[in-house]
Amino acid sequence: MMRDEEMDAVFHALASGARRRILDIIKATPGCSVNHVSAHFETSRIQTLKHLRVLEDAGLVLSEKRGRVRVLHFNPVPVQLIHERWTTEFSAYWAGQLTALKYRVESTEESPDG
Amino acid sequence: MADTESAVFRIFIRGTIQRVWEEITRTDREQPCMFNMVLHTDGLRPGGRMQMRTKSGKFVGVVGDVLEFDPPRRYVHTFKFTNFDDPPCKVIYELVEKDGGVEFTMTLAELPKGTRTAKQMTQGGTMIVNTLKSVVETGRPSFGTRMLFVLFALMEPFTPKSQRTENWPLR
Repeated sequence: MMRDEEMDAVFHALASGARRRILDIIKATPGCSVNHVSAHFETSRIQTLKHLRVLEDAGLVLSEKRGRVRVLHFNPVPVQLIHERWTTEFSAYWAGQLTALKYRVESTEESPDG
Repeated sequence: MADTESAVFRIFIRGTIQRVWEEITRTDREQPCMFNMVLHTDGLRPGGRMQMRTKSGKFVGVVGDVLEFDPPRRYVHTFKFTNFDDPPCKVIYELVEKDGGVEFTMTLAELPKGTRTAKQMTQGGTMIVNTLKSVVETGRPSFGTRMLFVLFALMEPFTPKSQRTENWPLR
């Protein structure tokens, strides 16, 4: 089980659109650099670094120095621990059926030939 | 080198570093965090061979070479699934004592991009570190994971013959 203050840090980190986008970027390109992430934003590199710091403190991003660059990885474990706190095998299956339905319907609505 | 990718999983475990180390290196019985398989080896030291076999010992799931072995902090081995024809990747376990517990990091490196090995490894990573935490902190895996092990045991007779232990000598 995760301690309350650990979980607070995760929710705080996720309570920002920019930081959620940063997680999307890192998840899609494991091992990417800070520059790669900041290239996706109009704001300054300093701002990106601040966001990364919050994500790192929450354990959602792991950064490692390799030579002269820092490489970034998304750590899925904190989100999984939160998921497991409120789901059972049974509810995960049926809730998964509903989310799958949502994705299916929403993706066909978006495509022009339906 | 072919196109590869990496994945990192980190979890904080309330327990001693010896206890966590023992869980990932034990050979006397199955390792719940490694999908309930049993570690077989001709010596956990650089140059040694390792295999993960099913509990019955009849099938080999994973083969690898030990690259680094530095108790209780660092263990690195190559990793190859016996059921896929993909090149081996590398698994790095790092243990650091921190805040009265252990920060456990598992890095999957040199994963051949787009292969079934890469997919299974990245999907299984979270389960490995979570189950390790659960075993050290509570003495056993979560209920869902235990159910999964029952299923694995039931499925074992359907494992391909190519994975039978006699086809995978340690040396």
